[in-house]
Order: sequence, then structure tokens, then C-alpha cells
Amino acid sequence: MCELYCKSDTLALRGKHIGPSCKVFFAADPIKIVRAQRQYMYDEKGEQYLDCINNVAHVGHCHPEVVKAALRQMELLNTNSRFLHDNIVEYAKRLAATLPERLSVCYFTNSGSEANDLALRLARQFRGHQDVITLDHAYHGHLSSLIEISPYKFQKGKDVKKEFVHVAPTPDTYRGEYRECHADPASAYANEVKKIIEEAHKRGRKIAAFIAESMQSCGGQIIPPAGYFQKVAAYVHEAGGVFIADEVQVGFGRVGKHFWSFQMHGEDFVPDIVTMGKPMGNGHPMACVVTTREIAEAFSNSGMEYFNTYGGNPVSCAVGLAVLDVIESEDLQGNAMRVGNYLTELLNKQKAKHTLIGNIRGIGLFIGIDLVTDHEKRTPATAEAQHIIYKMKEKGVLLSADGPHRNVLKIKPPMCFTEEDAKFMVDQLDEILTVLEETVGAQAESVIPANTARRAKVRASYFIFRKNMQNFGNLLKGVQISKCTVTIGTKPACSTVGLLLQISAGFRFPKAEPYHWSRKQASVPA
Amino acid sequence: RAGGGPVEWAEWSRLCDGHGPLAVGHCHPLVVQAAHEQNQVLNTNSRYLHDNIVDYAQRLSETLPEELCVFYFLNSGSEANDLALRLARQYTGHQDVVVLDHAYHGHLSSLIDISPYKFRDLDGQKEWVHVAPLPDTYRGLYREDHPSPAAAYASEVERVVRSAQERGRKIAAFFAESLPSVGGQIVPPAGYFSQVAGHIRRAGGLFVADEIQVGFGRVGTHFWAFQLQGQDFVPDIVTMGKSIGNGHPIACVATTQAVAKAFEATGVEYFNTLARCGFFSPLTPCGLPIIFHLWQFGGSPVSCAVGLAVLDVLEKEQLQAHATCVGRFLMELLRQQKAKHAIIGDIRGAGLFIGVDLIKDKATRTPATEEADYLVSRLKENHILLSTDGPGRNVLKFKPPMCFSLDNAQYLVAKLDAILTDMEEMVRSCESLRL
Repeated sequence: MCELYCKSDTLALRGKHIGPSCKVFFAADPIKIVRAQRQYMYDEKGEQYLDCINNVAHVGHCHPEVVKAALRQMELLNTNSRFLHDNIVEYAKRLAATLPERLSVCYFTNSGSEANDLALRLARQFRGHQDVITLDHAYHGHLSSLIEISPYKFQKGKDVKKEFVHVAPTPDTYRGEYRECHADPASAYANEVKKIIEEAHKRGRKIAAFIAESMQSCGGQIIPPAGYFQKVAAYVHEAGGVFIADEVQVGFGRVGKHFWSFQMHGEDFVPDIVTMGKPMGNGHPMACVVTTREIAEAFSNSGMEYFNTYGGNPVSCAVGLAVLDVIESEDLQGNAMRVGNYLTELLNKQKAKHTLIGNIRGIGLFIGIDLVTDHEKRTPATAEAQHIIYKMKEKGVLLSADGPHRNVLKIKPPMCFTEEDAKFMVDQLDEILTVLEETVGAQAESVIPANTARRAKVRASYFIFRKNMQNFGNLLKGVQISKCTVTIGTKPACSTVGLLLQISAGFRFPKAEPYHWSRKQASVPA
Repeated sequence: RAGGGPVEWAEWSRLCDGHGPLAVGHCHPLVVQAAHEQNQVLNTNSRYLHDNIVDYAQRLSETLPEELCVFYFLNSGSEANDLALRLARQYTGHQDVVVLDHAYHGHLSSLIDISPYKFRDLDGQKEWVHVAPLPDTYRGLYREDHPSPAAAYASEVERVVRSAQERGRKIAAFFAESLPSVGGQIVPPAGYFSQVAGHIRRAGGLFVADEIQVGFGRVGTHFWAFQLQGQDFVPDIVTMGKSIGNGHPIACVATTQAVAKAFEATGVEYFNTLARCGFFSPLTPCGLPIIFHLWQFGGSPVSCAVGLAVLDVLEKEQLQAHATCVGRFLMELLRQQKAKHAIIGDIRGAGLFIGVDLIKDKATRTPATEEADYLVSRLKENHILLSTDGPGRNVLKFKPPMCFSLDNAQYLVAKLDAILTDMEEMVRSCESLRL
């Protein structure tokens, strides 16, 4: 693959001509990607990376069926939706078939942001209400109207929350107000929405919509508790508002069991408006809003024409249809379920092994690893998360960290991700976590002042000792920390003593060799 | 279906409707090839380094004045205009926007608010939006007989700005399509933009030139329509779309280093850089990474490959010069028609951006709305696609693919002539019947 510019020139030109707000991944050491196939990306040196984050390349990077469909249509016709054409109606029909019956009217746009903006317009036009309830840490897009309803963006800086925006607590049962131990977190969180509606009404405000990502991604891979959406929908409908389910990140079979993430909440839950994007075109710019006939008619009765120059063009629709075909023919939804379950299982084993992992949550191929420095307080391990993603990159695995504290490793790979990929990813993570934890122990030694060195040494030893004991499933009883002795309570003592000796001697465990991809590289066309 | 081989394109390009966002002709094989080749190799987001995006930005920068050298890539003209609004507000710290009457800048919530073409029928004008008269020298306040319409219209903008300032409001931007299309294929008088820019910048605002309908050589003599206003005029922000990708969803915002840096600063203020994401140490303060602005599909390798191919074709096939040549020829033919048919009140345009203003009465210049509608449907029966615009829906708008030929122009005008003649005949017979 010949490059136009060497990497440093590419970087320099980017600095010169591309808006500086457009950041690169791994800013300290960006990657130049020149090629991709399925779930693998390749840099300018031909180094392979396992892509664990690119949910946009839903059916796999550069899928030949999708590429072919685009070519066929590009050679024939690519124009706007003011002319009749079969592709747009065929695609609308196929999409509608994946959704509950009342969601039958489609508006095609070019990006998830455009879709969410239109969803807001539809909601507001419906009954003439203005206010929007959004979730804390939500992100719905980069447009002016969407930054206003995206606390992930506006809470960070100068932008003040607008008075027509109401922020409900995110239904996070790990770090939120109502946790896994609460009797009924769904009702508790839904009640917060009810309170917001009541407050708004007291001030004479009217709710147009409640908008939520079916599973928050930027907010940290949050899966709302079962029943939450139904209860919220009931409150919102009572207030004359509509429920907007933002499936831009998570639709098209990613959760495995269902085609749409909101369907996890049960057949009795049907949003009023659904927005979709990202994976829809496997990278081709396209998105869509689907809604009820009632809402669509109210919008058209306003007299407003909705024309989107590129939205619903024949090429985009051909691409969309091809993506649906591939999802079906390759049983990618089934794959997401199988591989997702396997990956979650592997990660749960890691959680038992590494204290840095506070929580594993996810469904299908949408998984989050919540890293903490303290299990009880659940303090986000932000710097560790950044460290890990850089280390994973060195091992040829692309991961990113998100959540309000940037401590949740998020996994949402192309849907052709395999069990082998999952095992590889987890093995690398295991090694990195192990080294990190060791170094935490050694660092704790080196930074503590000399006059408490021995006590600190024992403390560090105790920490690792305790972990070892946990790993062997033994309870720690009657361990006394004194200046230079540790009473070993139960078996097995040998390994623990060995460990203590090693630490005292300043011994370092040998570093594991990184996995080699040569056999994978051979199978990919140049 | 549309398109064809290079020789057949003249036959196929009977599409005059400017809502087709075409620069180089439907299904141009080189553009299709570029998209296909890149689709097979890589199509991902701009968080990774890639040559296409920087190459494309570099090529675009060569077409623009030097100051406009920083680019943001998006998926639609609407997204571009929304970003332009955000850039202007961030840079100036102001909120208000001055727009032209009958302007249309896009379908997003924020843009309907600044598009009188839309908001007049809907939610009405917001208090932070100020509307200046459209610099229409045919139907506007100051017409072709005015000694200096540019200054007169520009002083209207000044008046609007002053009035806003008196109410304690601060101007972030003046937004204008370089050649208002929806407003009726308007060509602002020379000097207007520079003078307006003067007033706006003195008020602390920025000038945003919306080139979405008209960029990429359409006006013939220049690559960008704002360049018709003279070399001394440089907008602060330029938005482009539609023809940029020959139908592929691409758009772009070009601006200055200063504006771009101010926008980036929104991120830096929020978070500390974690550029040295190095090894964890308990003593190192843990910052959070800069929040960055990402447009998921914008600037993707495929979109940039398509954009580059369009630029290549424009150059190779000399479509800009072609637009001058065919545009002049078409205008000449249309002027002949104006002399012949009283219904044609005005012919105006530049290159392949032309408007034919149909009127009922020469003195009053009343828009001939129904006649225009009828004419368009008759043309459709003759397999010619045209549409109308302007507040009176009476301006026939020509913004065809740039490969539109002299033959196409001749054919089109011949048909127009025949239909107009027919219409006049019908009117005459109706009148004689009444008599």
C-alpha cells in the first residue's frame, strides 16, 4: 500500500489544515491506519490491530458485499429523494420490518446527529411542547441543538444548561445513586424522572420528549435496569411528551438477543421515535429516524417540508440494504450473542483475578470494563485506564476508555469479532493488568519515606499476600501486621512466602511475550 | 438511471434541476472509481491518521485565499452551517446572527432559526436573529437604476446591526449564501460583501459565506462565488457542500487559524491534556483527556477520496472554464428570449448559476407564479427538469451539472421558446374569446 506522505508529514499536514478540535486517538503516539478488513486494521507498516471499538464497521471493515452494492448503484444513479426510486422504499420497508408495527415512517438523514436533531423537531412539533428530559452524561451529537441536550458535553465547560433541558440521573446501577443492592432501581430511577416532570410542570413548562441512548456509551457502557424505560415512558406520555430511543450506537443486532437494544426491555415497551446511525451503512454516511404515523402526520401538518439533500439517496439505501443482508446471511446477531457471552465470561474471570476491575457489564458485543482503584468507594481508575489502552495498542489491540471519568474500557467491535479475538484481547489485558498491579506494589515501596520503609514493605506484601489468598479461595484470618512478620493463617503458605521473599529481594516477575499475529497477517489480502 | 459514457453525457445531462448536488455529472466514472477503490481498502473515522484527509484539505486550501486554511469535514451542508454558527459564537463570544431575507441555510433546528425562508412559516423570528434586506437589484429595495445599490444594501445591514446593539445585543456572525439561491438566484451587487464585512467585523462579528449551492467553479470566472465580489474580500468562514462530492454525502467548513484555535480552546479549558499518557504513578496528577469534537463519518477516507476525484475531474475536464463558456452562451440565448417574451422580466446569473425571473407585469414586476409552475410541468413533459424558487416561486433556476453542453443549452432554450410561445398563444385566444 503506497502512502502519499510519510507518517510525520501526515501528522504535520493535519496540524496545519485540519481543525485542531478534531483529535486523534492516542494523541501521544497516533496511529496511521491505511487498510482494514473485517475486525482488523493495518497501519502504514503493515502492523495489524484488533479493532475492539469500531461499531461503525458493523459487518466488518470493507465488507465485499457492501462495497459491491455501493459500486453497482454508484454506476447507475445517485440523486436526491425528490424523485421516486425503489431503493428508498425497499429499505424503509426492510427497516420497518425489524421494528414494532407502530414504528413505520422513516426519515433518512446522513448522520446520527442529523437524526437526533430531527427527532427533537418531530417531538416538539407533535404537541407544541418544548422541554426535553435527558440523562446525565448523555451524548446525542455534535450539533448546536444536541449539545444542549448532551450533559456529556455541556457540563464540561462554559455552556450553561438551558432552561428547557432537564437532566435525570443516569440509571447506572454500579456507580449511580441506586445500585445493584437496591430493591428496585428501575422504579427508583424512573421516579427521578417523575419528579423532574412534576417540577417542570410547577414552573409552567411542558415536556416534549424524554431522550435516551438505549444503552449509554459515552456515559460508560451503561445498561438501564429492566423496567426503567417502561416506567419512564408512562410518566412522559402522561405529561404529553414522547419517548425517543437513541439507537445510534447500539442498534442493528449488537445486543445479540434482539435487533434493537430497546427491545431488551420487553415487548410491551415501544418508543415513539427511534434514531439510528453509525453501523447502518458500515461506514457510509447514513442515518434514519423512524416514528409513528401520528407523529409524522403532525410534522407534515405544520406545512414544513423536510428535505435532506443527500438523505435517502439510492446509493445510501443500496448500502443499507446490503448491510441488512449481511447481518442476516452471516448470522451476525447470533455471533454477537455467542461471542459476547464468551467474552463476558472471560472478563468476569479477569475481574476475580484483578482488583483493578470493578465491574463488567454488557450484553452481546457491547461491553464495558469499569476500572477502579478502590472496590468499596468505586473510585474511577482514570489514569490506569489510559495507561492500559496505550499498552493494549502496543500489543495490537485497539480499545478506548469512556464514561464521565474516562475509566470504562469500552468494547463494541465489528460484529464479525470471533471467540479467538476475544481470547486474544483478554490475554493481553490480563498481562497488562498483572504487570500494572505488580508495579503498583513496587511503586508503593519506592515512594514511601525511608523511616517507614519496613512497615510499607510489609503492607505491600500484605496486599499481595491477601490477593493470593483470595485467589486460592481461602479466607484470611488473624493476620497481624507487625514490623517484620506476617502470621500466615492458612494454606497454601509456600507460594505466598515465596512471593514475600521475592518482593523483599526486589525480584521482578518476568514479562510475558506479546502474542504474534503472523498467521493472521498471512490470511489478509494485501 | 443517469449518466453514461463521456460522449453520451451531453444526451444524458438533461437534468437542469439544481437540487441534484452535482458538480461533474451524474455517475462520473472517475469519481465512482475513486470511491470504489477506497471502499475496498479502508473507510473509517478521522481519529486515525490518514493521507486522504490531509491531501484533500491541502487541495482545498489551494483554491481558497491563504487565510482560509483550516478545515472541518462533515456530512451535509446543514451540518457545516451548524458548525459555522458554533465556530462564530465561540470565537466572538457573541450570540446574535444577521441573515438575509429569504435565506435558507439548512434543515437543522439551529438553521431553521436563521433561515427566514423557513421560520417565517413556522416558529417565527428569534430575538437573536436579525434580518437584512436581500440585495436583489431586480425586485428589492434598491434596484438596477440606483447609483450604488451595494452601499445602499450594506448600509441596511449596518442599520440592522446598530439597532441590535442598541438593544444590548452582540453580533456573532453575518450569514449569507454567496449567491442566494432559494431567494431567487440573486447575484449581490459588487462591493456589497466587503462593505457588509466591514460593518459586521466592526461589531465584533464574523462573515460566513455559504457556498453550499454555488461553490466549486460553478460561477465560471472563479472557483468560489464569493470571489465574484473582488480579491480584497475574504470571508472568515466558508461552508461548502452539495456538489463537493458529486452526490456522496460530504461537506466542509473552511476557516482561519484564529477561529479554529478559539474553537479548540473550548476543549482545553475543560480538561487537562493527558498527552503523556504514560505509566501510572501514584504521585502523578491524573488529568482527563481533551474532549474532542468528532464528526463520525466526516473526513473519512472514502469521502476524501471522492472529494479529491471531483477536484481532479473539475481540473482535467476544465469544467470551470466550460461553465463560463456555456453559461455565457445560455445567458445570451435567454436574453434573446427576454426580448421576445414579455413574461421574462429578468435574466441574471454567473456561469452555470442562472435565474429567469418570470413576471406578469413589466412595471410592477409582479411574480408570475402560476405561469412558472405551468411552464415547469410543460418542460417536464418534454423531459426537461427545471424548478422554481424565490419568494414568489417564479424564478426558473438553472444549476445543472457542470458538464452541461452548448447543445443542451440550445435544446433547452428552444423548448422554452416553444412553450412560452404556446402559452402566449393560449392567453391571446382566451382574451379574444372574452372579447
